[in-house]
Amino acid sequence: MTQTATTQNGLAEKVSIRNLKFFYGQNLALKSINLPLYEKKVTAFIGPSGCGKSTLLRILNRMYDLYPKQHAEGEVLFDGGNILNPGQDLNLLRARIGMVFQKPTPFPMSIYDNIAFGVRLYENLGKAEMDARVESALTRAALWNEVKNKLTASGLSLSGGQQQRLCIARTIAVRPEVVLMDEPCSALDPISTAKIEELIDELTADYTIAIVTHNMQQAARVSDYTAFMYLGELIEFDETQKIFTAPSDKRTQDYITGRFG
Amino acid sequence: MVDAAMTGLRSTGVDSAKLKRMNSFRVGDATFRGLTFGAALLVLLLLGGVIISLIHGSIPAFSAFGLDFLTTQSWNPVTEKFGALAPIYGTIVTSIIALVVAVPVGIGIAIFLTELCPPVLKRPIGVAIELLAGIPSIIYGIWGLFVFAPFFQTEIQPVLIDIFGNIPGLSSVFAGPPYGIGVLTAGFILAIMVLPFITSITRDVFDTVPAVLKEATYGLGCTTGEVVTKVVLPYSRVGVIGGIMLGLGRALGETMAVTFVIGNAHKISASIMAPGTTISASIANEFTEAVGDLYTSSLIALGLILFVITFIVLACARLMLMRMNAKAGN
Amino acid sequence: MATLGTSAVSTPTAQAIYRRRRRGNGILLTFSFAATIFGLAWLVLILAALLYNGFSGLSLSVFTETTPPPGSAGGLLNAIVGSLIMTVAGVLIGTPIGILAGTYMSEYGRHNQLTTVVRFINDILLAAPSIVIGLFVYEVVVAPMGHFSAFAGAIALAILVIPVVVRTTEDMLNLVPNTLREAASALGLPRSIVIRNIAYKAAMSGIVTGVLLAIARVSGETAPLLFTALNNQFWSTNLNGPMSSLPVTIFQFALSPYPDWQKLAWSGALLITITVLALNIVARAFLSPRTSK
Repeated sequence: MTQTATTQNGLAEKVSIRNLKFFYGQNLALKSINLPLYEKKVTAFIGPSGCGKSTLLRILNRMYDLYPKQHAEGEVLFDGGNILNPGQDLNLLRARIGMVFQKPTPFPMSIYDNIAFGVRLYENLGKAEMDARVESALTRAALWNEVKNKLTASGLSLSGGQQQRLCIARTIAVRPEVVLMDEPCSALDPISTAKIEELIDELTADYTIAIVTHNMQQAARVSDYTAFMYLGELIEFDETQKIFTAPSDKRTQDYITGRFG
Repeated sequence: MVDAAMTGLRSTGVDSAKLKRMNSFRVGDATFRGLTFGAALLVLLLLGGVIISLIHGSIPAFSAFGLDFLTTQSWNPVTEKFGALAPIYGTIVTSIIALVVAVPVGIGIAIFLTELCPPVLKRPIGVAIELLAGIPSIIYGIWGLFVFAPFFQTEIQPVLIDIFGNIPGLSSVFAGPPYGIGVLTAGFILAIMVLPFITSITRDVFDTVPAVLKEATYGLGCTTGEVVTKVVLPYSRVGVIGGIMLGLGRALGETMAVTFVIGNAHKISASIMAPGTTISASIANEFTEAVGDLYTSSLIALGLILFVITFIVLACARLMLMRMNAKAGN
Repeated sequence: MATLGTSAVSTPTAQAIYRRRRRGNGILLTFSFAATIFGLAWLVLILAALLYNGFSGLSLSVFTETTPPPGSAGGLLNAIVGSLIMTVAGVLIGTPIGILAGTYMSEYGRHNQLTTVVRFINDILLAAPSIVIGLFVYEVVVAPMGHFSAFAGAIALAILVIPVVVRTTEDMLNLVPNTLREAASALGLPRSIVIRNIAYKAAMSGIVTGVLLAIARVSGETAPLLFTALNNQFWSTNLNGPMSSLPVTIFQFALSPYPDWQKLAWSGALLITITVLALNIVARAFLSPRTSK
């Protein structure tokens, strides 16, 4: 962590996005984005559909590499190294920068294996250690009490909100440094949403979190910093409180007061 | 508890064990990808191998007979004079008969399934028709020989001979005697065999017709029949023809069912009641008994001709169905 | 001519036209109904003939005795075992190749030219005349080895298995949602493990269906075995020599002039049909809970 840059406000930049451009084929989807993700803080990305916020998130773990004809230019510095370098080992990167998706995506296997599967790939844990890891991840994701008696049941048998918490548990079980969340509550009911928001709050103790959300109240509730994006550009980035009380750009103000989007 | 959980999940960054894993993953990834790539190439090589081996095997026949092989009728193992005309003729005529019967019936069933059938029966009838496609060729053969041909001989053929016997032009096509087995019987069995293929593809392409288009036509006061003939069929024409071509491809190459009922005579008769042969039936009947390189090579040359014809037909069918799918937006 | 203000439907001409249209509609619908009855009738007739002719000959000796010389009693044991051996061998050879090729097309090369070409060629192989595959295997296996063998028969069957499995594997993997692959990749799983442990698991029932359909297809195939495995009157499990199979035995016995042999041919035909139809139905049942989801 020694290479991590420290800025004037005294916070460490876990990820620094510099001059980032992104292309779908010939189409420029992101225009020169500059932005830090501060360590152990929650940064929310808001903006109307198609503004590029999910695209930006998917660059941070290079998820776009799964698809042809998409590429990024510029720099994304993570602990000092540019993750856009062609030599970057993607598996390693993704083990360090975890992601939670819009829809819950439990693997077609048991609840226990959903969590143990990713861990086994990188660590040789004994049975007891693995059990402890699974339990701590599920506890952390506020799911343990609901599933501790049916760990061998299929992950698909859980409710939508439980599945999403299972996916969060799965993500933190491999001990990443950054967690990306792409509209993690958009497919969930209000009660599950509240549980997950609480969880995000808890997780900031250990993780740097970036969350994309459609829901401005959610951004206001869970984040420390907020980035407002519009048509592939970063319009404004500041402390969440400032964005929601005294935005400096007219477009930000229009969006958060519901005049468009 | 929560304290323990927190320390247990605190990230540790990159250590050498992780890096070691990474390297083994990279090797595993490359190996697996290579295997799948090799298997995909093997599919291409198979087709290439089939073509090359057939060409190689048929060289003696073509160098002995030249292109006359395609236009000669005689097939004489004793004098070693071989010509492919009779089997080619039989293959084409049986396939045409099969299509004449199976196309209207197949389209009729597809219309029934998409426009008329009560939803409860849709799946059972669809499955039953597809099971017809699953019955092996040899079953059609044994059934055709022992059940269908005798029935055809006593009940259908005399009637056909009576009806067409006095019509100039058609009298020679339907000239007797009624053998039971022969070109017409083979064509008919083929029709039953290709029926499921034509039906299922026609039904699938009918289903690609947008519901709004049909609703708009009904909205004008059109009958079901008019919707089918004026909208559904024109809209899905390319796909239906593709399905028919696919059925044709099957009919051309079908072996066992035909071998049982065609009579295996290397001659071209004006009458479709007479015995004949097809390319595949000739190969199936004679290949293991063929003595002499020229005989064997002539049979392989027949195989090559069959493969080229079916390849062209099937390729056209696929191209048409691909066009249809592109239109449906898949 | 009626103006737009008055209804044109009530004039005598309009009613005559409408009656004609109704009649046309009736004819077409009657025809399509008749066509369906016609199509289904064959299935019933064939199954009835098989049951009638095949069932009476089915006795224990069919499964315990080998094929007899003309005029004496016997069974189909060697043919049944030969069919099993060659089908299993063919499926064991063809399935992995088919699954791997389908995996390449769906997982690695979904959008590239090679996949388009392989899919096109595979679809042609899927419908190519099986007797031509027999000739091919004769040329590349039987002729160089100098003799017919069960091994060559198994290769011929494998070549018929491959396109079926390729097709279903590709289709089923394409149905696996990308979100699942992304979720697995996001944990840092390498691609090959994402495919083998996640995508295959999610597509499992579909791939099994494909393999079952492939078994159904090859277990009744006759033409590719005629001059690869040939036939064998006697008990043999030697992969390096000619081997009997049910379809080839049926072919030989049905065309013989001996009633005993013809009866055995019917019994064999019934066995094959039951097997093939059962496999087809099981395969469909396997798939249906997935597709209805």
